[in-house]
Amino acid sequence: MTGLIQAIPTGIVLPESVLHSEFFAVLAAFVAVNTVMYAALAISKIVPMVHWSDWLPGRRRRTETRSIFPDAATREHPEAPSAPTVRGSGTP
Amino acid sequence: MRSQVFNRGVGLVVAAIAGGAAILLWIAVASDPPAQGNVPSTGAIFGVWQLLYDMQAPTPRVLLAAVSLAALFAAAVALIEIRVSNRSRRSFDVQTSPLAPKVIMAATRGTFHGAVSVTVLIPAHNEEVTLPDTLRSILAQSHRPDRVIVVADNCTDDTVAIAHSHGVEVVETVDNTAKKAGALNQVLRSILPDQGPNDVIMVLDADTAVDDGFLAAAVSRFTNDRGLMAVGGLFYGEEGAGLLGQLQRNEYVRYSAQIGRRRGRVFVLTGTASLFRSTALRTVAANRGASIPGIRGDVYDTAALTEDNELTLALKSLGALIISPAECTVVTEVMPTVGALWVQRLRWQRGALENLGAYGLTPATFRYWAQQLGIGYSVIALSGFVLLIMITVFAVNAWVWFPFWLGLGVVFTAERVVSVWNGGWRARLLAAALVPELIFDIVLDLVYVQGIIDITRGRKGAWGHVDHAPARTALQEENVS
Repeated sequence: MTGLIQAIPTGIVLPESVLHSEFFAVLAAFVAVNTVMYAALAISKIVPMVHWSDWLPGRRRRTETRSIFPDAATREHPEAPSAPTVRGSGTP
Repeated sequence: MRSQVFNRGVGLVVAAIAGGAAILLWIAVASDPPAQGNVPSTGAIFGVWQLLYDMQAPTPRVLLAAVSLAALFAAAVALIEIRVSNRSRRSFDVQTSPLAPKVIMAATRGTFHGAVSVTVLIPAHNEEVTLPDTLRSILAQSHRPDRVIVVADNCTDDTVAIAHSHGVEVVETVDNTAKKAGALNQVLRSILPDQGPNDVIMVLDADTAVDDGFLAAAVSRFTNDRGLMAVGGLFYGEEGAGLLGQLQRNEYVRYSAQIGRRRGRVFVLTGTASLFRSTALRTVAANRGASIPGIRGDVYDTAALTEDNELTLALKSLGALIISPAECTVVTEVMPTVGALWVQRLRWQRGALENLGAYGLTPATFRYWAQQLGIGYSVIALSGFVLLIMITVFAVNAWVWFPFWLGLGVVFTAERVVSVWNGGWRARLLAAALVPELIFDIVLDLVYVQGIIDITRGRKGAWGHVDHAPARTALQEENVS
């Protein structure tokens, strides 16, 4: 092993000692922390999304229709008209 | 609204916060000096291949801290966004949130105001090449629009004649100097007063083709939810432009996938194809110069470089419910050259930052500030990464394997490929290659830096415009942010 390392005493452009400097060590650690942070975010973007509201009954139930048709059924009142149908009777 | 100084300083504010965070991390890392430069070990695979490897990696404690920090940021942004949207959803305050669903529903409760009607506005400035495709795509919709109006703005080509030949209405702007926003403002001023609560305005770029089913899906949404104020298109890139085109198509696939994960909760209602309930546009015009920036009476803020992004902020600030359903897709142009891409992205980037400067930090803009800070920080992180790679490459003349970095590389490659899966095999191959997308990201980071410099120096923003060869049936400059 020692022979191999000694065979590459200097780099192409910069001296190999740069790799053993404190600056390089701090830079490597800085980049490592950042990269791990981004990797964590990357993983969080590809794992399946869990929508908790789907599992809670009643969370998505509407008390009145949101349709433009006042008579439209709601989940709570599947058949009954939910509001008067006279033009102008709405709350201002 | 806010002073010019604040508008110009917005880039510096974002850069300073992102830079400050990076410096803090650097100090934290340097205060606990990591082990300096291990000597690479040598190993053998199957006893045959000799290789150098370096097991250097941050300690588990540091790794855990990094993952926790990332999770904390992501969770904080998501929670605040949910809180803000819930606040709008539950608001009954006509003054601060005049477009909040509860306010709108109260105003229309119990009355049928007629079926949803769609008026399509197509702003066009010398679009004779691309307009025919746009008109064909909108006129061939399974749900036909009730009116189609081409807004011809200072045209010197055959745009007007082409519009007439397709049997649609044409309105020519008068003395308009404010480009697309000014042209739309002129025509909206005349048609909005006659529109009812269920009448919808669609703004469609003259270089954008909408997929069939777009209008039917949008109208169904507006019919089923009278509290819904706007529906935006999800765009994907047209074919062509080689590697550069594929890089942009990958980007658009990822954006659509992200909106899909968010169940249509959209960041920006694209200027290429979006529909607005007339009530929403009227309310925006009435509130400009007061609670939102701009000139009272204007639907679009003519000072904004990215008017679609600005209108999205305006609607959100007024409490409006907006979505981008998965069925509403449009084909949009990809920039054919790096130069054109640079101009386009510089405008988007500057537009986004300038809009934030105009609105300041509000509940509605929080998510966008976080996004800009995220990009700002990623510029620093990516620069650090590139510097590290370069020093290593230049200082080592034998190939050394770093298992820690290899592992991270595998994670990133997996994310790149999975996130672009819907884009097909070409998209996946390009993502798997990793380096081209890394270089693309570096270019976008340079645009970001250029944008901050330009804003700070007060340089005037430029509009990009791609010249089309007459034979090319393509799309033109568009406005996604």
